[in-house]
Amino acid sequence: MKILVINPGSTSTKVAVFEDDELLASKTLRHSSEELAPFKRLTDQFAFRTKIIEAFLQEAGVPPEELSAVVGRGGLLDPISSGGTYKVTDDMLEDLMSGKNGEHASNLGALIAYQFTREFGIPSFIVDSVVVDELEPLARYSGHPMFKRRSIFHALNQKATARAAAKELGKAYEDVNLIVVHMGGGISVGAHKRGRVVNVNNALDGDGPFTPERSGTLPLTQLIDLCYSGRYTLDQMKKKIKGQGGMVDYLGTNDGMEVSKRIDQGDQEALLVYRAMAYQTAKWIGKMAAVLSGEVDGIVLTGGLAYDEDRMVPWIREMVEFIAPVLVFPGGDEERALAMGGLRVLRGEETPKIYSEMRIS
Amino acid sequence: MKILVINPGSSSTKVALFEDRDRISQENLSHPAEELDRYETLMDQRELRERAIMDFLATNRVSLDQLDAIAARGGILPPLESGTYLANQAMEDFLLHHARVQHASNLAAVIGLDMARKASKPIPVYVTDPVSVDEMDPVARISGIKDLERKCLSHISNMRVVGIKVAEEELKRPFNETNMVIAHLGGGISVAPFERGRMFDVNNANDEGPFSVERSGELPVGDVVKVAYSGQYTKDQLKKTFVGKGGLVAYLGTNDLREAFKMAQEDPKALEVIEAMAYQIAQEIGAMCVALKGRVDCIVITGGMAHSDRFVQMIQSRVGRFARVFTVPGEMEMEALAYGALRVMTGQEAAKEFTFSAGGSN
Repeated sequence: MKILVINPGSTSTKVAVFEDDELLASKTLRHSSEELAPFKRLTDQFAFRTKIIEAFLQEAGVPPEELSAVVGRGGLLDPISSGGTYKVTDDMLEDLMSGKNGEHASNLGALIAYQFTREFGIPSFIVDSVVVDELEPLARYSGHPMFKRRSIFHALNQKATARAAAKELGKAYEDVNLIVVHMGGGISVGAHKRGRVVNVNNALDGDGPFTPERSGTLPLTQLIDLCYSGRYTLDQMKKKIKGQGGMVDYLGTNDGMEVSKRIDQGDQEALLVYRAMAYQTAKWIGKMAAVLSGEVDGIVLTGGLAYDEDRMVPWIREMVEFIAPVLVFPGGDEERALAMGGLRVLRGEETPKIYSEMRIS
Repeated sequence: MKILVINPGSSSTKVALFEDRDRISQENLSHPAEELDRYETLMDQRELRERAIMDFLATNRVSLDQLDAIAARGGILPPLESGTYLANQAMEDFLLHHARVQHASNLAAVIGLDMARKASKPIPVYVTDPVSVDEMDPVARISGIKDLERKCLSHISNMRVVGIKVAEEELKRPFNETNMVIAHLGGGISVAPFERGRMFDVNNANDEGPFSVERSGELPVGDVVKVAYSGQYTKDQLKKTFVGKGGLVAYLGTNDLREAFKMAQEDPKALEVIEAMAYQIAQEIGAMCVALKGRVDCIVITGGMAHSDRFVQMIQSRVGRFARVFTVPGEMEMEALAYGALRVMTGQEAAKEFTFSAGGSN
């Protein structure tokens, strides 16, 4: 069974064709700013991008009619109460077209995928969108009724890696408790309880360890003092939290390799900051272990920083392996994660979910 | 051995007499606002408070010369190691002339030394585990942006005395040969890992960690920044909203856990709020178990909320797999000071020397 995967970014579209779980062809289709300039709204780009994707299929020697499914990256929909694979439906397209939850390149995923349903009658899906919200009620408390903790995390890679880890443990994802740590530009630490992410730090701008470019949780009253100090505008403050915080703020780089190099050269400051990032990340694993009452089958490290077998991985492992064995799945192949979501449905292992039944209004 | 304990608060002075480990007498000497208002500075109150303490001794038929030591609460001293300090000229000098924060506790050692000077024999004045104890690891000081450093402020005094008690009574080992996670559940909540007696990390209860009966604990940073720049609150309003009017009192309108449990009999939402507080406390304990790499001899739950078996059970069900859990309900604030002095007097510990060089400050 052939599956086309569409993963749109702001200046490129990553596409791939899988034959079952084997990659047949993949490409990053880049879009110059001149090409994108004529489109007023992001969603206006979908016909343009669709055409380029059709050309890619032709080049790869895969006629659209041979496809069994098309899977797009899920966009900014209303929060949905369960992860997994969703059928692309009219109400979903409507929400993405309207941009009611924000405009993001990933909104194009379902729109483009549906073109193949419209033209060729091929079923289209999205998988584990960023809006997946499976938090348990206790996880929603912040500490003040003014704010609620929200579920914003790397759902696609967290879920795909959790499934792969469960498989390695010889169990179904729905039968294990895992703590999954995605370590990229943001770091999300999720408590996966029998297939549901019941708690996870809001890696975007909420809480958690500091990351290569985000601040994570900050000391509350000190943060308030800083906001009122007159030293930073709102925009500058927001950047301290996301984009210019964490490693960037301390060391001037968001590149783990660069920091490793500095540590090799004896840079004590770099060593301290890098260690602190591992320390905070490990502590968040401890928090999620308490969420799971200590009943944890595995701790799973993924994302780019999980490639660092010299420092980051052993540092974290040393601190948390008393909780559960640590499994390492470096990187994070989004295209494969999307394809596997489609494949599970095609194989009848999973029933596709319907947006209108799962959305949390 | 007779020990007088002095623990001044803003409007009262708590005093106690110990005969070795036994408390013979304790009283809360209150000072009416009209009386305190007559004094311009905090330090000017020392004679008034000293007279009240002398009256307390007289009532108990104990003369100054019968005292073997005075145990004073530590003031806002510079960052120092945990342990018991002999109050000396340097400490008095610091409290009188260099204290950065005016706090009633600064009076304790000063009054103690004044009294000791009036005795006809030398009476040592000891200070144990002042709030400024700071043994935090450098790696734990990093917040997430350069502008902010995680601060070491905690309920160190109660946490250490409780840790020492559990080590001796339950683990049958000296405290500094054990690893523990201790959670102090009071108006604010401190959770700290102790590695061989050293507290190398702790959530600052105003800034981080679980919400408590009246503090919000850590909050989503993006949301906090938005509110701070919204123009709807002054800085002080916002801080008071989160520290003092946050947590349980914000969700349920009471800062009393017993009251909240009463509400929970009829209102499932109230029960959920209590559970959420226990959940966040358990999370912080989990984090600190990781800080100790899982080598945890026991978890100790202390402070006022530890009186509630039901609440402790909610926490224990989540952290019981990490280590044994012991509870020491309430706060041993007077014992902490008396026992600290006693450890030095019986030769179990050596008193530490307080030093301060004014050159370091402005």
